[in-house]
Amino acid sequence: MYKNKVVFITGASRGVGLSLVKHFIENKACVIGVSKSESTFANSNYSHFSVDLADPEAISKLFKKEIHKKYKKIDIVINNAAVLTSQYSMVLPIKNATDMVNVNLLAVFFVSREAVKLMRNNDQGRIINIGSMAVSLEPIGDALYAATKAAINTLANVMAKEFSNYNVTCNTLSISAIDTDMLFQHSDSAKLKIDEIISNLPVPRKALIDDVLNVIDFYASDRSSYITAQTIYLGGVN
Amino acid sequence: MERTEILKIVKEQVELLRDTFSEDEKFVVEDEMVLFGSNSTIDSLSLVSLIVDTESYFFDEYGLEISLTDDNAMTRSVSPFNTISTLTDYIFEVVNT
Repeated sequence: MYKNKVVFITGASRGVGLSLVKHFIENKACVIGVSKSESTFANSNYSHFSVDLADPEAISKLFKKEIHKKYKKIDIVINNAAVLTSQYSMVLPIKNATDMVNVNLLAVFFVSREAVKLMRNNDQGRIINIGSMAVSLEPIGDALYAATKAAINTLANVMAKEFSNYNVTCNTLSISAIDTDMLFQHSDSAKLKIDEIISNLPVPRKALIDDVLNVIDFYASDRSSYITAQTIYLGGVN
Repeated sequence: MERTEILKIVKEQVELLRDTFSEDEKFVVEDEMVLFGSNSTIDSLSLVSLIVDTESYFFDEYGLEISLTDDNAMTRSVSPFNTISTLTDYIFEVVNT
């Protein structure tokens, strides 16, 4: 399905990001993964770069020194990397707050703008941001996290206008709770709250990775050139 | 780097940009061609493409990391992006500083 496509995925070493890497590799893509930590995944069509996405200079350097020279093109970008500290606003540490803004929002901006410089050359591209149901549900303790995720919805919508001349689409997939490390880091009381939220969704279950892949494939498809500036929420969140 | 060499590069980049236009939108590339403002030959998105292409060219061909849109450029009373000639002057300044 993705033969000859170059796919760039952030947050690629674990969780949803790692599942995305495996999905695209299984479907014949050449995949570039980025995360702060090393990856345990190995494949001849996979390259991993350990980059601190909170550092805009590191992102710029990655594209200029590695991606432009080695790959010459990018077809699909998935901005998946995110950090979450669930805490009441008044006691959220400054470092955790700035990390969320830097990784969840600014890195999406910098990766997207560097990628589109390559996508222009092929006159096509897909940028997909991984959002969150927190935007809609606005849970207590996730003020900044939800705000950064709301911001990337808007980011995609504006970039969709800026990049449409190059046939680059920009969309967001907002996933509901899914069993990953990020979810497990919540306190027991927060987990109970998430379970309660999930039980009230139209489809009262956590997301499965296939639910995510289904929408990713839809956004990434060559046929989806007319699908842009859209946000899809899983599980009936609205 | 000589100004004439930079002028040649900038004009080549504008010509590459022009090649992406349809026949009825094509324009003559000359030193005083207006790039920015109400009399501009190209729209703002095309100017952005030209800037990105030019920055990339200098990095790819000469290993020079130049930024044509930093504060130094954007706060000038006379924009470096007015014409091909003023853009050339600005790049000449940046490259040789």
